Amino acid sequence: MELHGTALSIRRLEKRYDDGTRALESLDLEVPAGTFFGLLGPNGAGKTTLISAVCNLIRVTGGEISVFGHDVASLQARRMIGVAEQDPNLDRFLTVREALVYHGGYFGLGRRRALERAEEMIDVFDLGAKADVRAPKLSGGQRRRLLLARALLHEPRLVILDEPTAGVDIELRRELWRYIRRLHEEGTTILLTTHYLEEAETLCEDVALIARGEIVARSAPEELKRRFGVDSLEAVYMETVAR
Amino acid sequence: MNAPHPWMSLLSLAGRECLRVTRLWTQTMLAPVVSSVLFIVVFGLSLGGRISGIGEIPYDVFIVPGLAAMAMAQAAYSNNSSSIFQARSDRYIHDVLSAPMRPWQMNLGLSLGGAYRALVIGIAVLAIAIPLTDAPVERPFALALAALLLVVLFGALGTVIGIYAETFDHHTFVNNIVILPLTFVGGVFYSIEVLPSPWEEISHANPIFYIVNSVRYGVLGTSDVSVGLSFGVTAAIALAVVAWSQYLFATGRRLKA
Ligand SMILES: Nc1ncnc2c1ncn2[C@@H]1O[C@H](COP(=O)(O)OP(=O)(O)OP(=O)(O)O)[C@@H](O)[C@H]1O
Ligand SMILES: [Mg+2]
Repeated sequence: MELHGTALSIRRLEKRYDDGTRALESLDLEVPAGTFFGLLGPNGAGKTTLISAVCNLIRVTGGEISVFGHDVASLQARRMIGVAEQDPNLDRFLTVREALVYHGGYFGLGRRRALERAEEMIDVFDLGAKADVRAPKLSGGQRRRLLLARALLHEPRLVILDEPTAGVDIELRRELWRYIRRLHEEGTTILLTTHYLEEAETLCEDVALIARGEIVARSAPEELKRRFGVDSLEAVYMETVAR
Repeated sequence: MNAPHPWMSLLSLAGRECLRVTRLWTQTMLAPVVSSVLFIVVFGLSLGGRISGIGEIPYDVFIVPGLAAMAMAQAAYSNNSSSIFQARSDRYIHDVLSAPMRPWQMNLGLSLGGAYRALVIGIAVLAIAIPLTDAPVERPFALALAALLLVVLFGALGTVIGIYAETFDHHTFVNNIVILPLTFVGGVFYSIEVLPSPWEEISHANPIFYIVNSVRYGVLGTSDVSVGLSFGVTAAIALAVVAWSQYLFATGRRLKA
């Protein structure tokens, strides 16, 4: 798997929602391939909007996005992205296993491969006991597990996790990071948003701080701490984006 | 990375929609078949004896194609509108929007559940009604074409309404206020020739009248208006509604914030 190049390139991205809210203002961002990247910022800063733009979930009002050099609208780009959204969005008619297998199908996996991957993901996220249960009967944390399993099922090269650890127990948190770190070591690019700054500090090689739809600082956590003369990422956050 | 199977996305999406229909089969298929058969039994067989036939055709036979058409239209419409509305409100549709699929594949895949449901219902209604009433199938190819156009038209209409609906009531509203009344006055239960002027002329402005006529032509081999006109109007409306649904998928309007 190639590690050079750019996983995600965003130029002058602008999003104005139909009600007039300007969520992103001419935003530029490059995420090098293979990076564990953190996108940090207060509520309403535009993190989810940025992610939605990359995942074809909103109509952007300006700018360009490319994923590993492919235009974001292309099928190649779509295939390379796996997203776990902030709010679980599960298919209520399908069981855990079916949700995974059908997702694999939507992403072009053959049936046998999709079944194989579904079993692997059920294993990784410890969903075995619930494999034949439908989404509405899962607990909050189990839904989160399924959401993550689904995001990773088609082996995306760019994994996007929007607050994956909100409301999640310590066990899942540990398992998740162990697994995500392994994917990262194998070359997968990770884009993470989180409000747990210590989590970001230990995991991310590179972070961008976003406020009011604009990137206000962007560097390795160590470099940011040095630049602002503080000893934690939280202090950098307070200096830059906290209201 | 695994080599993508080009048809897999579309097949999976269509498969998911059909699975939903099959899993809920008592509501999605059994109920509409039972109610159509009840109509035939009550109106056709019990009251039919007191109602003189339409032209040469006995009344119970006359109403069969219209009832089958009505059941199919309702099924294709309400299946697609409720499935897409649900997918939007649970935001599960994001899993489809973010997948490597072209807009037309999303549109077609999401619509095939309604087509499947409508065709099963149509076949079941005819399979029960034919031995019950001795209705013929005079022109099977015309019938198949009429059924196809009807399913495409009402399936696409369901898709459009499912995309615009803001509450679940909207989709029932369109059904109760537009589709049902137009079907009832569209000549399911009578030939519009029996209507006094100006009602006969007004009936010609009802699009559903042409659709019912197309299906009736397939079953009975007769039609209130020219067969070409019936099929032409039905196809034109189907095309327009499909274009509308495709526009919504291609631009993402209402599907994406
Ligand atoms: N569908 C929408 N319609 C109108 N405005 C929206 C919509 N979605 C988000 N917004 C607005 O866009 C801005 C950015 O929201 P976004 O969800 O991207 O923030 P965020 O950084 O993800 O916040 P959080 O940390 O709370 O998840 C906010 O002002 C929000 O109110
Ligand atoms: Mg958010």
